[in-house]
Amino acid sequence: MNPRLTLHVLGGLLLSLAVALLLPVAFSLYFGDGSAVTFLLSSSLAGIVGGALYFGLKTRDEIGLREGFAIVSFGWMAFGLFGALPYIISGQIPTAVDALFESVSGFTTTGATILPEISRLTPSMLFWRSLTQWLGGMGIIVLTLAILPMLGVGGMQLFRAEVPGPTQDRLTPRIQDTAKLLWEVYFALTAALVILLAVGEMNWFEALCHGLTTMATGGFSTSDQSVGGWQSPWTHWVITLFMFLAGTNFSLHYLLFRGKFRSLTRSEEFRVYVGINLTAIVVITACLLPDYDSPLLAFQHTAFQVVSISTSTGFGTADYEQWPLFVQAVIMGLMLVGGMAGSTGGGMKVARVLLLVKHAGHQVFRLIHPRGIRILKLSGKAVNNDVIQSILGFGALYFFTAFLATAVMAADGTDLLTGASAAISALSNIGPGLGSVGPTENYAHLGTVTKLVLAWCMVLGRLELFTVLVLFFPSFWRK
Amino acid sequence: MKVIIVGAGQVGFNTADRLSREGHDVVLIESDGSVQEMLADRVNALVLHGNGANEEVLEEAGIRDADLFIAVTDKDEVNLVACIVANEYNVHRKIARVKSGHFIEAGGRFSASKLGIDLVINPESVVADEIVNIVSHTGATDVGEFADGRVVFLGYPITAGSELADVSMRDLGALRGIYKLVVTAIARADQTLIPRGDDVIQVGDIVYFVCHKKDLPAIQYLFGFAKDEARDIFILGAGDVGTRLARRLSAGGYKVKVIDRNPKNTEALAREMDNVLVLQTDGTDVETLRNEGIEKAGAFIAVTQDDQANILCGILAKRYGAHRAIALVDHQEFVALAPNLGIDACISPRMATASAILQHVRRGDVLSMAMVEQCNAEVLEFNVSDSAPIAGKTLGALKVPVGSNIGAIVRGEQVIIPGGDDMICTDDHVIVFALPDAIAMVEDFFAAK
Repeated sequence: MNPRLTLHVLGGLLLSLAVALLLPVAFSLYFGDGSAVTFLLSSSLAGIVGGALYFGLKTRDEIGLREGFAIVSFGWMAFGLFGALPYIISGQIPTAVDALFESVSGFTTTGATILPEISRLTPSMLFWRSLTQWLGGMGIIVLTLAILPMLGVGGMQLFRAEVPGPTQDRLTPRIQDTAKLLWEVYFALTAALVILLAVGEMNWFEALCHGLTTMATGGFSTSDQSVGGWQSPWTHWVITLFMFLAGTNFSLHYLLFRGKFRSLTRSEEFRVYVGINLTAIVVITACLLPDYDSPLLAFQHTAFQVVSISTSTGFGTADYEQWPLFVQAVIMGLMLVGGMAGSTGGGMKVARVLLLVKHAGHQVFRLIHPRGIRILKLSGKAVNNDVIQSILGFGALYFFTAFLATAVMAADGTDLLTGASAAISALSNIGPGLGSVGPTENYAHLGTVTKLVLAWCMVLGRLELFTVLVLFFPSFWRK
Repeated sequence: MKVIIVGAGQVGFNTADRLSREGHDVVLIESDGSVQEMLADRVNALVLHGNGANEEVLEEAGIRDADLFIAVTDKDEVNLVACIVANEYNVHRKIARVKSGHFIEAGGRFSASKLGIDLVINPESVVADEIVNIVSHTGATDVGEFADGRVVFLGYPITAGSELADVSMRDLGALRGIYKLVVTAIARADQTLIPRGDDVIQVGDIVYFVCHKKDLPAIQYLFGFAKDEARDIFILGAGDVGTRLARRLSAGGYKVKVIDRNPKNTEALAREMDNVLVLQTDGTDVETLRNEGIEKAGAFIAVTQDDQANILCGILAKRYGAHRAIALVDHQEFVALAPNLGIDACISPRMATASAILQHVRRGDVLSMAMVEQCNAEVLEFNVSDSAPIAGKTLGALKVPVGSNIGAIVRGEQVIIPGGDDMICTDDHVIVFALPDAIAMVEDFFAAK
């Protein structure tokens, strides 16, 4: 581990965060909400610390494996801390722990909130909340990679550590170009969504905020009733569609833009992703028919909720805690699976679950054919055994972490259903859970320890466990 | 005809031997000095030492007036370059052996026809073709198709209790009823005979006959050749041949199980194919064989590099219930031996390859041919041109060369399984069985003068 280099790059990351913190100033001035000073102050703080690290610790060293893990992990923690500054400085979220929770929940695109009344925030603060999700969605380090030329060969380490999924696609020979392409696709889709929403019943500001948080599969809304605050089917369906797109691998979007339509059907993960969502929608719609006035309305709300949960967005237009228990169990399953690898969605990712299921099938095959040889494949391509091993490790760690977090929260006085669902929700970066943190409730009432545990789980989940957990091994720090 | 053959490996040697026996001038070029010395005495051909892609060596071999150039070394690149050089010398026909066919496929940027190569031979694919042919004709040891597949030539072993055992040729006429077939040859122990009316079929013989394809199911049923067709197939050896077989047979609807002890091979196969069961073990692992259902297997096909292993594992598999054993056998000596041991069909890569090359070398009147592995005999399909002396004669009046007989006459859409009264007309296709010594005579006899 090279601390000087790590701090130097972290400084660079903070500088880009300082720039991001300037954006809400424009909104503050437009709306005249008086928060401009807050953001200027926050931006200068991030800028000073970042600048000191970046310019004070110049180095020509290359980023290696360990630096990559450290930079990404500490980078995300730093974003959480500095991103909380506006909430604290403005006093709109008075306690530091709550501000940190909100900030981390934003950057990790979780979308869980401790705010009982979101609409009381100033417009520029609402925008900042949405912006943190948008930046965290595609990955702020991937963004830095795309903009700054500073991350030479080591860029791949950072890319790998931040982009979700068991394996990453490299679309271009140079990793910087791949990062740039992904952000371009992300930007284009977001822009399209904002326009489509503004055409509907949302005003342009609401459309912008929801555009940012939908494409990030984040789930922060500007209304206390989440997307339920708007009733038109147009708004619901547009958001449903774009949540689904955001949960799709962005490499696929890029290939589609390039006119390679066959890549969609060729991707086994995409087929399963579509299959899971469609099956869940059909089954749950059937269960809910008696509860709604028209089948179409049941279909609309089911589709919205299913896609919102399975892509880990966390928007709500209906309270699924009022739905039958069986439906809630299905929703719990969707939380675990999540979106596609390489998307902005969270969860274990469809690719991992698919490979785990295949691996289980492989074990049964080995019992029947002790001498049989079978290669696990995804989209017809052989999957390296190392990948399977790491997925098994990931699965084990995921459940172990969820259990540990639930236990600690229980000690803090959180009931089991709330704790377990909140832990899974945080690890999968979804937002709402069950129990007292359902889609119509918030996290404000939870204990300080519980909030910190959940914030920690969000970072672990966003960076897919390993990246952060390696820091806890002593051998990581030794040369 | 003047022939240059580059590479005196098994294929090259075999081809050279057969061509020189048929009276062609053959020059063999071999890069391995010791092999060159050894072969000089064994084949009636000029054997040169050198690189077959080298101009000097080729000049010495007389490439300027060569009619046919055959490059069959182990190395694809040498064969291709040699053929390109031969093309520069305007050799009329060029044949190359190419193992990794994908980069020379038709339509590619680097296709064989662009390089002026008339025929690309891949021994592994030739062998696989032949085995697939045999597997799809249950029980047959040899299979050949003629006249666009309308006429088939088949060899069946006669087992104890067979309908045909102890039946004379004369009695066969009554037995076969309305279904016409011509028994062209009977292989008995080490000899092959062209049967006459008094000859009797014995247990242990292999009977070769020609018939119309549409009559085949009836004939197979009548003589008990076609048993219940089992769709389970075991393949021992996941090398090049085994992989090709697995690919073709599973595409043909068979349930294929491939055994190989080399993890590299099994992994490569498992990587490529999902609908094939790949087993990593020895061919002698009886427990696994039984566990995977060897007793219900329609065929056990052994295609490892090792002749002995192929034969022994084939016998073992039959002992545990496999219906048929088919073995890849390279050594000529074993090919004759294998049937006695209970191997139902032997495929020799060099024979198969040589056969494919010879088929191409034959004069224009020969439309297609098949080789019979057990006895080196050939089945040839001739076109009767109007200048041929045989045109317009009845079979009874025709003195076909000793060691040959006529299996079928194809006249337009009509297929005639002939008796003595049938006549040969211009533009007929005749399908003729010929023992090795008779091949040259048969060619002269049926060809245009």
